[in-house]
Amino acid sequence: MNFKLRAATKDDCKDISRMITELAVYENMPDQVKISHEELERDGFCQNPFFECLIAEVPEEQKSKEGFTVVGYALYFYTYSTWMGPTVYLEDLYVMPEFRGNGIGKGLLCKVAEVAKKKQCVRLQLSVLNWNTPSRDFYAAKGAKDLTATEGWHFIRFDGQNLDNLVNEAPTN
Amino acid sequence: MEYKLRKAEPKDVPDILRLVKELAKYEDMEHQVALTEKDLLEDGFGETPFYHCIIAELPGETSSQDPSVVGFAMYYFTYDPWVGKQLYLEEFYVMDRCRGLGIGSGILRHLSDLAMKTRCTGMMFVVAENNEPSVQFYKRRGAEDLSQEEGWRLFRFSKDSLVKMATPSEE
Repeated sequence: MNFKLRAATKDDCKDISRMITELAVYENMPDQVKISHEELERDGFCQNPFFECLIAEVPEEQKSKEGFTVVGYALYFYTYSTWMGPTVYLEDLYVMPEFRGNGIGKGLLCKVAEVAKKKQCVRLQLSVLNWNTPSRDFYAAKGAKDLTATEGWHFIRFDGQNLDNLVNEAPTN
Repeated sequence: MEYKLRKAEPKDVPDILRLVKELAKYEDMEHQVALTEKDLLEDGFGETPFYHCIIAELPGETSSQDPSVVGFAMYYFTYDPWVGKQLYLEEFYVMDRCRGLGIGSGILRHLSDLAMKTRCTGMMFVVAENNEPSVQFYKRRGAEDLSQEEGWRLFRFSKDSLVKMATPSEE
């Protein structure tokens, strides 16, 4: 299968939004997607973008059943380790089911690694759901370490009402 | 005791590195801090900062003494494709001898306020599961443990694996 990997443009945001929802469905959390292509256009293509995105595209003659040629994406941003310096965080990596098994996922991951290396990043981090064995195996096979298992790191979040509550206690100095 | 919270400046870099090392020691990983003052200066106060920092200061013992830096929080902005901008809290530390004065709570509140002002829908970070005092500190304030509740596991590729993946193969 022929596929091309390239940087996303603003025009790709509708396709990216479609695939974000597909990935959320796979992760059994479809009702948690609250933003649309408009927020992606605003946040990814402003002066100081909050994320970068790579797209996987197939030629017209290999398009999907519904007629899509954009068939995978990797969304990432830059973070900072006080121990080692700049790092890349891979937030989403997804290939449409009918295009799997062709090296697209691996290609996207390697392309992100290339970006990381060019920007002198020393690490690439991501998170995976514990039941998502295909993904856990995919990353482990490429050399990733499960830090939750080996070092006991847990992801914590404040949002919604809990974040509001914290704000309401903010001092006025 | 009156403490002051303010944005970090380049002159704070030596103190920031000192506190980073103290926190790493608390986590039993101090030998893993490879960054220097020069790195912190370039990465935080250059053209495109990779991080932002809040400093907590206590006044000097006498009026002629400089205030001392006793705590800090380092954060940056990340992106959740489902809900948008998030504030990611990378480091958060108050020196041992200055705990129990409300400095930690003050920093967290300040960050929450900042998160709301910058249109973030959440604040995220990681905690080691054996760090009971920190886990309880956050849970008391309403934080959710996503690793426990949703099963998220943190994965990392180190430099060697990155280099292997980045080097073009024969395909």
